[in-house]
Amino acid sequence: MGNSRNEMKKYLRLFNISFQQEFAYRLNFILWRARNVMQILIFFFLWDAIFSGGATQIFGYDKAKIFTYAFALIIVRAIVMSSRSADVAGQIANGELSNLLLKPINYFSYWLTRDLSSKFLNILFSIFETVVLVLILKPNVFIQTNPVYLISFTLALIIAMFIYFTTIMMTSFVPFWVPEIVWGAQFLVIVIVVEFLSGAFLPLDIFPPTVYQILRFTPFPYLIFIPIKIYLGNFDYSMVIQSLIIGTAWCWVLWRIVNYIWKKGLLVYEGVGR
Amino acid sequence: MLYTTAMDKAIIVDRLVKSFEVSQKEPGLTGAIKSLFSSKKKTVRALREISFTIQPGELVGFIGPNGAGKTTTLKTLSGLLYPTSGFIEVLEHNPWERKPEFLKQIALVMGQKNQLWWDLPAIETFELNRAIYEIPTKNYNDNLKELVDLLEIGKLINTPVRKLSLGQRMRMELTAALLHKPKVLFLDEPTIGLDIIGQQKMRDFIYDYNRKYNATILLTSHNMDDLSNLARRVIVIDAGQLLFDGAFEELIAKFAKEKIIKATLGREDNIKGLESIGKIRKLSFPEVIISVPREATAVAAAELLQNFPVEDLTIEEVPIEDIIRKVFRGELKK
Repeated sequence: MGNSRNEMKKYLRLFNISFQQEFAYRLNFILWRARNVMQILIFFFLWDAIFSGGATQIFGYDKAKIFTYAFALIIVRAIVMSSRSADVAGQIANGELSNLLLKPINYFSYWLTRDLSSKFLNILFSIFETVVLVLILKPNVFIQTNPVYLISFTLALIIAMFIYFTTIMMTSFVPFWVPEIVWGAQFLVIVIVVEFLSGAFLPLDIFPPTVYQILRFTPFPYLIFIPIKIYLGNFDYSMVIQSLIIGTAWCWVLWRIVNYIWKKGLLVYEGVGR
Repeated sequence: MLYTTAMDKAIIVDRLVKSFEVSQKEPGLTGAIKSLFSSKKKTVRALREISFTIQPGELVGFIGPNGAGKTTTLKTLSGLLYPTSGFIEVLEHNPWERKPEFLKQIALVMGQKNQLWWDLPAIETFELNRAIYEIPTKNYNDNLKELVDLLEIGKLINTPVRKLSLGQRMRMELTAALLHKPKVLFLDEPTIGLDIIGQQKMRDFIYDYNRKYNATILLTSHNMDDLSNLARRVIVIDAGQLLFDGAFEELIAKFAKEKIIKATLGREDNIKGLESIGKIRKLSFPEVIISVPREATAVAAAELLQNFPVEDLTIEEVPIEDIIRKVFRGELKK
């Protein structure tokens, strides 16, 4: 099929050029990676201090599992939360979006491809960072070997990437209506809501059970916490399946919402400044 | 004719209206905070029922003062803006649907726009466009070579874009926009910011592209030379309304309300009295240039000959540049 081959070529070329572009901003990239490592270190030392009090288990976590959580965080964050689509809001506000709209390419596929290229680079670095940190800190890290958990973990990661993508897109569309709010909406949503409620700061099951039960039905834990829990083998199989179903449902709901907002946004798009 | 060609209109615009909602904001921080809670919206009517059609292969100059709605029209025709009302069709497509078949046949090039990947050599953008527009290898190589030769950018395509000069970048932009050989080309200020030689090159290129591929071109410009060298037909809009649509030369017939009398005087006396003839545009003895209302030209000339020591006299049309300048200043009225 010549047609689908051409489609593939489009996105491979885009992946390639996007990857090159990442390298053009080396300092930016290094700072972003440094921030990720810092976050892991804080997490690590905080929990190291807690366990040094003599406890062997806290909130159902022993030392090995909490440290595994910390290191899984590096990789899961790199996979889920590294993206280029953070540029979308700026593009809408300054009219650069016009360039993309003129091209015979699907808008969402364009950004998904650019995200994947960014993730690819970030994953390479995160693996390197993890190895270095493990060698330095010498923690007990739990290696999952059960294939059911490993496959479920992979599925959970795909769900997480998609939920993150749609969430970022949604907040990025705000400038269609309020061009001044380029970073405000993203900061609020990503830093405060997403980072905190996703489990990027602490495992969510240390919250009171009611809070945790409510959170399970929001999309946020499916970004970080639930994929890691599945990897750690903390969920029984029925819980794993339940989680994958809720996550998939959220993907569908968010995708519908994003498409709706996008179509509405294009109607009021002014392509200013260009 | 016994048969008609497959398509006899490249562009159809019928009573096109485009309005924007603009939120009003008071100055300063308090204004900004206030606007968060209650924003006063004002409707700006950028286009008010514009209609025109363009044949395949036509090269049309689209002129008017800043804010007249030229760029808005181009953006609407390219499918970027959603028309408030009215009908538009480009190559038998509704632009707003932005179907791949449509997008593969058009290009919109804007003076300040940058589709090039800033940190990478332009060739990377070209390669990306080749993939996106699904240009077959043979065509791509031919088109690229042709554009590179015509625009003389061969040595520059491997240089990171940010290291290029504005003129070089503009030529790269044009190359990126034309690799897929669009049949309809929307050019917004294609020579803005270029030096004289650069402008000339750009004009030559546009002229050739139009001729060679029978491409339909709609261009806006504030550059007099762009218009007089390229456009046989001009469309004038102001405040979102169409003022004129026709041959370049006809602009004068329609809008030159005055004629110019040039006279050479024998003696320097009764100069003051010249003011009774018409508006003195220039007076440097022995030469005087007076503009008079069109219909009063004959009377004014006779009066001048009778009452003044005239040695030579000619009657001329207002220069086209003056008319265009008036267009740009928004001084033409229906």
